[in-house]
Amino acid sequence: MAKARPITGLDAHAPTGRNARIIARIRLDELYDWSRYVDDAYHGRELHNLRIAAKRLRYTLEIFEAVLPDACVSIVKELEMIQEELGALHDSDVMIALLRLCLGGQDGSTVSDQTISHPGEKIALPPELVADVVEPAVAPIAEERYGLEQFLLRCQRNHEEQFNTFQQHWRRLQARDFRHEVLSILEA
Amino acid sequence: MQEQSPPVLAAIDIGSNTIHIVVACCQPDTLDIIEDQVELVRIGESVTATGAVSPEKRDAAIDVLHRYRALAEQHSAEQIFTVATEAIRKASNSDEFLEEIKRETGLEVLLISGNAEATLSFYGATYEESKQPDAPVRIAVMDLGGGSTELVTARNMHITWRTSLPIGSGWLHDRYLPGDPPTPDDLSVARTFLRTYLQGIRIKPQPPKLIVTGGSANSLLLVARQAFRLDPSSNRLTYDDLMRCEGLMSAFPAEEISLRYRQPIGRARILPAGALIMREVMSRLNLHEISVSPHGIREGVLLAYARYGESWLERVNEETSPTTLSAGTSHEKAAIPGGEPEEEFVQAGQRMLRERVEKLLDWRDEVLRNEDIEAVHKMRVATRRLRATLDAFETCCEPEQFKRVYRRIKKMADLLGSARDTDVMVQGLRTQIEQIVERPEEEIAGLQWLIQRLDTYRRQRQRTLADFFKRLDEKDLKKQVESCIRKGDLSDGES
Repeated sequence: MAKARPITGLDAHAPTGRNARIIARIRLDELYDWSRYVDDAYHGRELHNLRIAAKRLRYTLEIFEAVLPDACVSIVKELEMIQEELGALHDSDVMIALLRLCLGGQDGSTVSDQTISHPGEKIALPPELVADVVEPAVAPIAEERYGLEQFLLRCQRNHEEQFNTFQQHWRRLQARDFRHEVLSILEA
Repeated sequence: MQEQSPPVLAAIDIGSNTIHIVVACCQPDTLDIIEDQVELVRIGESVTATGAVSPEKRDAAIDVLHRYRALAEQHSAEQIFTVATEAIRKASNSDEFLEEIKRETGLEVLLISGNAEATLSFYGATYEESKQPDAPVRIAVMDLGGGSTELVTARNMHITWRTSLPIGSGWLHDRYLPGDPPTPDDLSVARTFLRTYLQGIRIKPQPPKLIVTGGSANSLLLVARQAFRLDPSSNRLTYDDLMRCEGLMSAFPAEEISLRYRQPIGRARILPAGALIMREVMSRLNLHEISVSPHGIREGVLLAYARYGESWLERVNEETSPTTLSAGTSHEKAAIPGGEPEEEFVQAGQRMLRERVEKLLDWRDEVLRNEDIEAVHKMRVATRRLRATLDAFETCCEPEQFKRVYRRIKKMADLLGSARDTDVMVQGLRTQIEQIVERPEEEIAGLQWLIQRLDTYRRQRQRTLADFFKRLDEKDLKKQVESCIRKGDLSDGES
């Protein structure tokens, strides 16, 4: 997960609302920094960072709600939707990585790097989970393996649908110049 | 020149449980209350049972209103305002009922909307609070009535959101808690109903302070003061106080409660429902305590008239319209330019960090209990909000202290995250199995194998979480978070 960008240019003794606007603008820039990956479904980690950036902007608007314009509520709603769409995508990424690990790991392939790689994609799984699912003593039998293969195919199809949903939403936001909209609300 | 004395006015509120009168000398921000009387008529009982105000309830109401009119006249009230709320809004024969009141008593009753009711309750419940120098920036008011519950949130005493829920203590009693005392099963069903209902209501932002008004809230305060020897000068009730009230009322029949704590029997019967609603609303708002106000809709009517004159109801209705709500209107405090409270950034930081760490720690016990997977999720979200707050105020923090706190919170977030992510995966897999009707058996077998692996892993995570939270020194964490902000900045800010 990418670290939050440090905030500069704040005055500790200024009214909270003034600084809250500066912070929100920086969080908005962070969101748009990651947006260059929105057209590539296999940049799982970068899309996850885009989701985190959306979440940071949303939390900023929420924690400073009392001093920001009421119209920020509509921005928060859009951010929640982005977060949900990217969250579903990330959950699928993790499930796909886990299934590949279960299926690959049982074949005796190495899991030492504890990640599953695909072109442009690298999703990390917790080491304890990795150790647990590749434990030879509890390996899936043939019938279970077949079932996991089927489920993996289903997850991959879902992933595609989820990505399309997010991408269409993002394009709609671009068409209405969401960034400018947020900046205008913050300046109000 | 001699000062003109403020007018004496009377306000009567025909509610679902009670008919209540207040007579007072009225000024726009002050009431000097001369009379305050209440009768428990429970009109809502017949409306819930048959959909209409029964002849018995009508006669009882008219009898009370006759006496109230005489009482107002005895104090030379210049005007008598009579308003009716939820039970009458719902009653199929409300028009006939109100006409009969007019014919019999000469009182013209205004049937007000739920939103107007919410606004008037807000005026009444907060007028004392709003005069305090340390009045909170964000506040909420709940008017717990017999047939409905009004909820209002406000910022700097500007109403920002309000709603009227068709659930009140009398209604909940009649529908869900008929036993005397209520049975554990009935209480459990009522609790589940409330929890589900309240979860569906979006309350944003969640207020740090809630004032509760209404007959049941005031009676519960009186009962709790006597039963648990609470400070009689305090108007606060904690979540635990209400839980104890609920326990008391589940143990004794209403008659016993009525005798022991000097409550009208009709009121004693609906108190368990009132306690349950208050507790569930507190839980929904993540609040540990509430303040109880003896003032409500009647005082609100008197203040509205003193402020706006004859057009008071139009003004109240305007104030509750969605367009006005978003713009915010207030008569109680001058608007601060730009709508911003004058709190300095560094002071806001200290306050917000304190609030965030408290909210975070509120979830600790539930995570340890491990009964509801949502607790882990909520606590994880609380760590994120605390980190977002730390990120926002980093420039006001001691760098080393900031890093220490940040690392500590991140570790907590990671532990919660690994548990939560597993919960999400298991939930997703279980949903898949439920939806699989035409899928091959092998796929179900594969999913079950994976669920079993994840369950094992989740149990390990819970043990790690439990170890971590059992060792966590809450006081130390709070102190560490609160001391993040540089002392120099703070003292400059306070000078």
